[in-house]
Amino acid sequence: MPATLTPPAVSSGDALKTAESDAAAFYGDLSRFRIEIGLEDDGWHIEYRIRQPEGSRFMTGGGPWYVIDATTGAILDKKYYQ
Amino acid sequence: MDAPTADELRVHPVVIAAFSAAWADSFPDDPALRHEEGGYIYQNPTTGEVVVRRALPGGLDFLDLSFPPTVAGAFLVATYHTHAIPPHGPIFAEPSSDDRELAAESGVPWFVVSHEGVFVTGPNRRVGGLRGPNGYPT
Repeated sequence: MPATLTPPAVSSGDALKTAESDAAAFYGDLSRFRIEIGLEDDGWHIEYRIRQPEGSRFMTGGGPWYVIDATTGAILDKKYYQ
Repeated sequence: MDAPTADELRVHPVVIAAFSAAWADSFPDDPALRHEEGGYIYQNPTTGEVVVRRALPGGLDFLDLSFPPTVAGAFLVATYHTHAIPPHGPIFAEPSSDDRELAAESGVPWFVVSHEGVFVTGPNRRVGGLRGPNGYPT
């Protein structure tokens, strides 16, 4: 019988709002990033990745990375990259 | 012929000078002017000569390394760029996930010059040796 998955108390959308608020305060415009999000054992992992401009393959850079508690919505860990 | 390794390149006088120049030109201590600088490192397989070419200056936290110029007779063996961020600040100096993934995809080592020293990511040396396209091997 398949296991029943319990949805986290904090949705991916809510976790993303928390991350976005912090990221925008630090980085400003976030339109140059794409977002990767996944639920891990310790919470939502959210990473902002550089969007390659048209015609470019190797634009350097980096954005913020977060772990957000899937029960409380608190930011458990974060790193700012460039 | 094998390409030089990242460890061999990082102690080469031409490369050391390029790192120093890029770091100085990044204005790491000036909040208004700090930005990324960097470029491309080549080796001529016949003479062994190592040469560098600068990329156009980047922005505060980005630099486009997509367009290595052609250097006659030489192959791209690495790239370098600065992370001109102040020490003890909230931004990590080490290569970002993007830097690490792009370096792996590019097929050459990427050096990141920072106040914490020089990091390297990507392959240990140009993939496929000194043959094929003069620019990125991939």
